[in-house]
Amino acid sequence: MSLFSFVSIGNADVNFAGKTVTWVVPFKEGGGTSRFARFIQPFLKKYLPGNPDVQIMHIPGGGAIKGSNYFEKNAKADGTFIFGCSTSVIVNVATGNPLVKYNLSEYRPVVLLPQNTHWFTRSDLAEPHDLSKIKERKLVLYALKTPASADLFHIWIYEKLGIKGAKPIPGLSSSGGYQAFLRGEIHLSSHGAANYVKKVKPEIEKGKVVDLMTLGIIGADGSVSRNPLAPNAPTFPEMYEKVNGKKLEGDDLEAYYAIGAAWSQASKAMMLPADASDEIVKAYRDAAIKMTNDPEFKAKAVKALGPFPLIIGEEAGEIIKKAAVFSDTTKNQLNAALKKHKFTYRVQ
Amino acid sequence: MEQLLAALFQLFEPTHLAFLFAGTLLGLIVGILPGMGGTSGLALVLPFVFTMEPSHALAMMIGVLAPTTTSDTFPAVLMGVPGTAGSQATVMDGFPLSKKGMAARALSAAFSASLLGGIFGAFILSISIYYAIPIIMAFGFGEQFLLVVLALLMVGALTGDNLFKGIASCFLGLIIGSIGTAPITGDPRYTFNTLYLLEGVPLVVVGLGLFAIPEIVGLLDSKGSIAKSLNTKKGWFTGLKDVVKNWFLVLRCSTLGCLVGALPGLGGTVVDWIAYSHLKQTTKDTSQFGKGDIRGVIAPESANNAKEGGALIPTLIFGIPGSGNKVLLLGGFVLIGIEPGLDMVTTNLDLTYLMIWSLAIANILGAGICMGFSSQISKFTLVPYYILAPVMVCLIFFATFNINRDWYDFIGLLSFGIIGITFKNFGWSRPALLIGFFLSSKVELLSYQTQAVYGLSFLSRPVSIILIILCLATIVLLTKQKFDSNYRSDLIKGKLTQIYYIIILLCLPLSMIWFTSSLDYRANLFPISLSVIALSLLVFILIVKIADLKNLSFLNNTFMRFARSNIFEISGNFNNQLFYYFSFIGFLLMNFIFGFPIAAAIFINIFILFHNRKAYVSSICISAVLMVILWSLSSLLTLQFPNGLIGLFIDLPWWLGGQLN
Repeated sequence: MSLFSFVSIGNADVNFAGKTVTWVVPFKEGGGTSRFARFIQPFLKKYLPGNPDVQIMHIPGGGAIKGSNYFEKNAKADGTFIFGCSTSVIVNVATGNPLVKYNLSEYRPVVLLPQNTHWFTRSDLAEPHDLSKIKERKLVLYALKTPASADLFHIWIYEKLGIKGAKPIPGLSSSGGYQAFLRGEIHLSSHGAANYVKKVKPEIEKGKVVDLMTLGIIGADGSVSRNPLAPNAPTFPEMYEKVNGKKLEGDDLEAYYAIGAAWSQASKAMMLPADASDEIVKAYRDAAIKMTNDPEFKAKAVKALGPFPLIIGEEAGEIIKKAAVFSDTTKNQLNAALKKHKFTYRVQ
Repeated sequence: MEQLLAALFQLFEPTHLAFLFAGTLLGLIVGILPGMGGTSGLALVLPFVFTMEPSHALAMMIGVLAPTTTSDTFPAVLMGVPGTAGSQATVMDGFPLSKKGMAARALSAAFSASLLGGIFGAFILSISIYYAIPIIMAFGFGEQFLLVVLALLMVGALTGDNLFKGIASCFLGLIIGSIGTAPITGDPRYTFNTLYLLEGVPLVVVGLGLFAIPEIVGLLDSKGSIAKSLNTKKGWFTGLKDVVKNWFLVLRCSTLGCLVGALPGLGGTVVDWIAYSHLKQTTKDTSQFGKGDIRGVIAPESANNAKEGGALIPTLIFGIPGSGNKVLLLGGFVLIGIEPGLDMVTTNLDLTYLMIWSLAIANILGAGICMGFSSQISKFTLVPYYILAPVMVCLIFFATFNINRDWYDFIGLLSFGIIGITFKNFGWSRPALLIGFFLSSKVELLSYQTQAVYGLSFLSRPVSIILIILCLATIVLLTKQKFDSNYRSDLIKGKLTQIYYIIILLCLPLSMIWFTSSLDYRANLFPISLSVIALSLLVFILIVKIADLKNLSFLNNTFMRFARSNIFEISGNFNNQLFYYFSFIGFLLMNFIFGFPIAAAIFINIFILFHNRKAYVSSICISAVLMVILWSLSSLLTLQFPNGLIGLFIDLPWWLGGQLN
C-alpha cells in the first residue's frame, strides 16, 4: 500500500484507479479521429495514474456538432471526460457556425497530431513543382466537398497563388475527387499524407502525376519547413513567393498561420474540458510524454498516425487558439475568396 | 490471385467465420418471415456493425443478405406466401407441389438451385472485379449521372404495380432525400431549423420504417394463413435429381439473375418473374405450370440467389445500389468507413475478395442449414404472428435507438412506418422510394458536376449512348414481360381513401417548393424541379383515379388503358393494420415513460395476452429470453437502452435503462 502512494507521488491528487475515462469522439467509427483515439486508447490506460478504463463514445451527426455540443454539456472536469477533436470540429468554430455551443478555444489540449496536405496535378498539365502552365489555363477544375468545411481553404490557397481559371466542383469527397482526377475530369487534386503515400506516390512513380507543393510544416517559432514525404516539393510560402515575387507576410501570413493551425497542426487532437484543473492536465500530458517514449508506440506510430511528431504541452494550447479564433482580417480574406466564386456561404 | 486466397484464409479465422455464421442465421430467419427480407435484416444489424472491425462487419452483412433468398422458399412452398419479394414466382409451382404432398421435393430442388445460383453469382462477381478498373475509368460524371437516372427510371417503372405510381414513388423518394443541407451552398433545406433534419433522416430509420414495420402489421393482419401440418419428410433425393437433370436451366436462369441484378437499381422484386417467364417461353409443354411443375421452382430460385452477386457489381464499383437491399449495404459501408469505387478494386481489394468469399460461403451455409434442419426450420412457420410481432417490434426499437441514441429517430421510424404501410396497401413502390431517397444527393451532385465539366456534351459520349439504349430496351422488354396479376378494378373497395391519399402526398412537393423558394437558386433548383415533376405525376394519377372511379369514357384508348392498370390497389385490411400501427405508438409512449427494458417486457406480455389469454407462460418466457439477449448484447457492445421519464427521478441500473458507467 505504501509502495502505491509512493509511485503516484508526482500527482498526489490525481488518481483514476477504478474509474472509467470516456473519450467522446464526435464522428462515426472508422473515421480518422476514431482511429486516432483507438490507437492512443491502450497507452492512455497504461500511463494515466491508476490505470483507468478508457472507453470511446462515438456521437456522430450534425457535421460533428452534435457530439461536440454533447461534450460541452456533459463532460465532467475531473479528468474522466476527454474529447477527440479534428479539423472539422475546429472549422465549425472558426467559421462561426451558429449551431456550435462548445467553447473550443478554452479547452485544454493534451496531444495534437499534425497532418499535411499535398497538391499535385497530371504530368501532361505541368512540370513538377511549377504552376506556370496551370496559371495559363482558362479552366482549372478542382474538387471541393462543401464551402462550409476545411475545403474552404483550397479556395483561398488558389486565389493567393493567382490561379485565375480555378473553379471548384462541389460535392466531391477527397477520394471521389481523386478518382475524377485520374479520369482526367479535374485538373488539380490534393490529399492528406496517408493517402498521398498510399495512392498518389505510385502514380508519381509511373510518371502520370507530378507534385506541385505541400502546405509546409509550421514549427513552434513560426518557421515553415518542407514536408519529409515530398522533400523536393516547395511549401506554400515558397510557392507564394515564387508566384507573387514577394515574401508571404502581413494579412496573408496571418491567414496562412490560422489555416495551417486548423488544417495541419491540429488535424487531430485530444482535449480536456475548459475547467479541468492544472493537475489533471499535467497528469494527462505526463502520460502522453511517457506514451511517446514507449517502445511499442514508437514501433507502430509512424504506420498508424503518420510521420509527423505529436505536439504536447502549452504550445498545443496556442495552436488551438490560433485555429479556433480567426481574426477579422483572416475572415475577410476567406469571405472575399468565397464571394469571388459566387458562394453564398460566409465565414461569420 | 494471391489476395484472393489470402481473403479466403482470413475468412476462415474463427472470428470471421463466427460473424459470417451469425449473419447467415439472421438472414435465414428474416428470409422465412414472410415479407421480411434482406432490407429489413440489414437495417436491424446496421446500428451494431459499426462497433466492429470492417472485415467482420462485411462478413456479417453479406451473411445476412445472401441466404434470405434461400430460406424464403419455406413459406413460399409450405404456405403459399412468398418469404421475400424474390420468391413470389416460386409460389406459382412450389405451393401446388406442396399440396400434392411433394413439399420435400420442391424444397430440396429449391435449395440446391439456390446454392448453385448463389455460387454462380459470386463467380461472376469475382470475374467482373478483374475488369472493373477500365470500367470505372470510362465512367465519368456524365456517365454516372445517366446510370443513376436510368436506374431510378427502371426501378420506378418496374417495381410498382402501376408505371406512373412507380415513377412518382421514385420522385417522392428523391424529394425526401433532398431534405437537409444543400450540398452546393450549405443552405438548410426543409429542416425547420432543427439539427435532426440537417443531415437528413438516417438511412436505417427509413429502411426499417418502410420495410419492417409494414410487413409486421401485414403479418398480424393476415393471421389466417398458418400452415396446418407439414410433410417435409420424403422426396429430398428426387428434388436433387430434378436439379441435376435441369442443369442447363439452372445455368441460364443464374446468368439471367446475374444480369438483371447487375442492372443498377433492379433486382429482388422482378428477377424471379423474369426467370419464370423465360422458363415458360423456352418450354414446349407448359401444361403443368402453375399446377406443380418442379422447373417452376428451380428457375426463380436459381435466379434470385444469383442476382446477389450481380447486384454487388454496380454497388461496389460505382456506389449505385444494384437492388433495394444494397442501399442498406452501402449505408453499412459508410458506417465502417469504406467508400465504393476505385478503392474497392485497388487499395481495398482484400475487402472485396472477402465479400465475394463470404457470399459464396454464406450461400453454402444457408442451403446446408436449410436442408439439414428442414423439419425444425419449417416448424418456424407454425409460430403464431402475435408472438413474433412484438418481439420484432422490440428489436426494431432497440436497433433504431442505437443508430444515434436520439429520440427523434423513433418519430422518423413511425413516420416512415405509416408511409410504408400506406405505400404497401395502396400499391405504391417502396423500393423506388428507398432508392430515390438514397440516390437523391448523388443525382444532385452529379448533375452539377456533369454540368461543370461537360455541359450537355456528355450525352454524345459513346458510353452514354449505349446506356440510354440499354435502359430504354430494358424498360420496353420488361414492361411487356411483366406478369399479369389479373387486376380487377371493380373488386377494390375504399377507392375514395386512395384518392384522398394522393391529396396528402401532394403536400410534400407543394411544401417543399414553398419552403425552399427563398433560397439561392443553386440550393433550390434541384428540390423545386423534382417537386414540379412529382406534382405533375401525382396530378395525372389523381385524374386517372377519378376517371376510373367515375368510369369516364376517355379511358378507352390504349394509352389510358395502360395508365389505368393497377391504378387502385388494396392488400389486406387497412384499418386493422392501422390498429396495430397505433399499438406501436403506444409502445413508444411506454418507452418514453418507463424506459426501454420495462416497456418491452410490458409490451410483449400485453400483446401476446391480448391475442391469446392462455399464453401467459410463453409470453413471460419470451420477454425474459429477449431481455437476456439484449442485455448481453448491450454489455458486449456498450450499447445503451432508451431511458424514460422515470429514469430522471429514480436512479435506475443500466439494465433497466439507467446511464452507463
